[in-house]
Amino acid sequence: MSGEQTYLALADFLIPAHGKMPKFSDVCSYADATTALDFRDDLKEGFVRAVAVDAAGGAEPALEKLNREDGPAFSAVTTITIAAYYMNPRVRELIGYPGQENVQYDSKAVQPYLTDGTLTKVIARGRKYRPTPGL
Amino acid sequence: MSVAPKSRPSRDEEVDVVIVGAGPSGSVAALHLARAGVSVVVLEQGEWPDYNDYTGARPEHELVSTKLWHPNPNVRDNPNDYPVDTSTTDINPLMFAGVGGSATLYGAQWMHFLPSDFRVRSMDGVADDWPFTYEDLLPYFLEVEREVGVSGLAGDPAFPPRPAYPFPALPIGSVGQRGALGMERMGWHWWPGSNAIPSEKFGELNACVRRGVCLTGCPEGAKSTTDRSHWPLAIKAGARLVVRARVKEVETNDQGLATGVVYIDANGRERRQRAKIVILCANGVGTPRLLLMSGGAKHPDGLANSSGLVGRRLMMHPFASVLASYEDPLDSWRGPFGQQVYSHEFYETDERRGFVRGSKWNCMPSGGPVGVSGAIGSKVYVAEEGRFQDFWGGNLHDNVARRFGHSLIWGIVGEDLPEENNQVVLSKDLTDSDGLPAPQIVYKVNENSNRLLKFNIDRCLESVRAAGAIETLVSVPVRESGWHLIGTTVMGDDPKRSVVDQWGACHDVPNLYILDASTFPTSGATNPTATIMAVALRNTRRMIAERRNQKVA
Repeated sequence: MSGEQTYLALADFLIPAHGKMPKFSDVCSYADATTALDFRDDLKEGFVRAVAVDAAGGAEPALEKLNREDGPAFSAVTTITIAAYYMNPRVRELIGYPGQENVQYDSKAVQPYLTDGTLTKVIARGRKYRPTPGL
Repeated sequence: MSVAPKSRPSRDEEVDVVIVGAGPSGSVAALHLARAGVSVVVLEQGEWPDYNDYTGARPEHELVSTKLWHPNPNVRDNPNDYPVDTSTTDINPLMFAGVGGSATLYGAQWMHFLPSDFRVRSMDGVADDWPFTYEDLLPYFLEVEREVGVSGLAGDPAFPPRPAYPFPALPIGSVGQRGALGMERMGWHWWPGSNAIPSEKFGELNACVRRGVCLTGCPEGAKSTTDRSHWPLAIKAGARLVVRARVKEVETNDQGLATGVVYIDANGRERRQRAKIVILCANGVGTPRLLLMSGGAKHPDGLANSSGLVGRRLMMHPFASVLASYEDPLDSWRGPFGQQVYSHEFYETDERRGFVRGSKWNCMPSGGPVGVSGAIGSKVYVAEEGRFQDFWGGNLHDNVARRFGHSLIWGIVGEDLPEENNQVVLSKDLTDSDGLPAPQIVYKVNENSNRLLKFNIDRCLESVRAAGAIETLVSVPVRESGWHLIGTTVMGDDPKRSVVDQWGACHDVPNLYILDASTFPTSGATNPTATIMAVALRNTRRMIAERRNQKVA
């Protein structure tokens, strides 16, 4: 298996199709993973070791071996895989995530808790702090 | 930013004051001293922030921030920071070196200490009272709030009466409403969050747009940090700021008075800044580290350490968190991240609970899909002994579907009591990028804290379930939670039992001051930045008023 084939096998085990959600390779490519890796130079060495693992016996035992014997490689491949997947626009659309968005609001609008009585109840329960003058 | 720092002073120039650290306390001191006509130089080991580096508005945010903007300097691995030996601590200290200090990566939860926090010994029979009171400090709390641009709602019965905040409270969002619902159903205290994030434009600060990435640097320039709130004004007033200047030693003369500091500049050259007064604002780890590195052969145990208390009594606020998921959507990636609502229901001592002192809770959004998956990044909710398959495959999809957009986090800050064995020492093995000894943290979470956190977690679970939680995940104590670095050069009247007096002046070196949270006798249970800046302002004002009486070299 090439490094690319090994990686996609590992990634599809980590993120399979499930309900409405696609598996990793349905929406992301190896190139997407390497693009993500460019944001994290610190993970590159581990990633290279991870995709060199012998996955001929299946992705799960290969990942078990990485997790057991090479934590940094396991961390690198899982971090890049989950980040690339949830950066994908199709995946974000499916889970309803617009990203960390800008939300406009009126700072002077009267908040509901001021008019619906909820904060009045908090005040009615009385003082919570212990005063100290004289101590 | 439109303001550029001025150049460093000329060689051998003696200034009135040199300040070590351009974080919250150093910035307050620099601004007010400069405005009073005092010549001030501030040495900061980090850089000015570049807001283009804050990735919160970009798709790669969750990937990048877990490294570049991680609050633990050992993870960030930035040469401007110093590493910390954490082999002997239950909790990792978190900090950031740069203009604005560790607040660069804070959640901006703004809450000053309460009256009882200054009278712990008198009221609860433990730890120590402060040399001054809540009432003494209140005018400075209010003045600093106006400088910082705090948003909030006055009238909270958990605080003594106070005037309105400078700006209206930020929207509490669906997350805050759900958090409040649980508290209301339990009949417990809650209140809309107060945050160092203006809801309207204020000076160099933009209005918050609820981007929700406060903890990893605000790309909007809305979270109040002193690079925007104080430094433009301080530089205009004449303060000079030297970045990438790592101080290695405070120097003293034969009379035991401070004469200045030695630092390593951006090019690795050793320089000396002479000054009539030296002020340390390097946080509860950096300040004792610098004192322990200073003093030379005359003070082998460190400068200003005749009490033996430099580095001791470290408090870091053991922290717990409860993530709760709900069936209905909460848009839980939206900010503010700091605190949408908070609770002081269990802030004050009730000895029937089996511990003294108390806690503050803050309700936050849970963030993006990677973070809530539990698979990587924040390992807060991942059991060390767990199988990786528990977080991957179909489980990953199920966990994200259940939590993402549907969950909130209650953070529980518990008061940490001072213990002399919890301390900062110099590492024998680890050094920073200039070869200076790194700090080593020796810290154990004490039994009072363990009981406090257990009690509060149990109550928190009751609250979130009362609001309909379908899943809860608890983390305690969170190892990566040492945001609040307090107590390591304690203030007091007795030179045998304290390092500085109530004005921050070292008993042993009267023209050496400490204005950060190192001086706090106790830690309260609130986020300390508001109190740090208020104490810094109080003591700076005193320094200005008494400058003609100040003993100098």
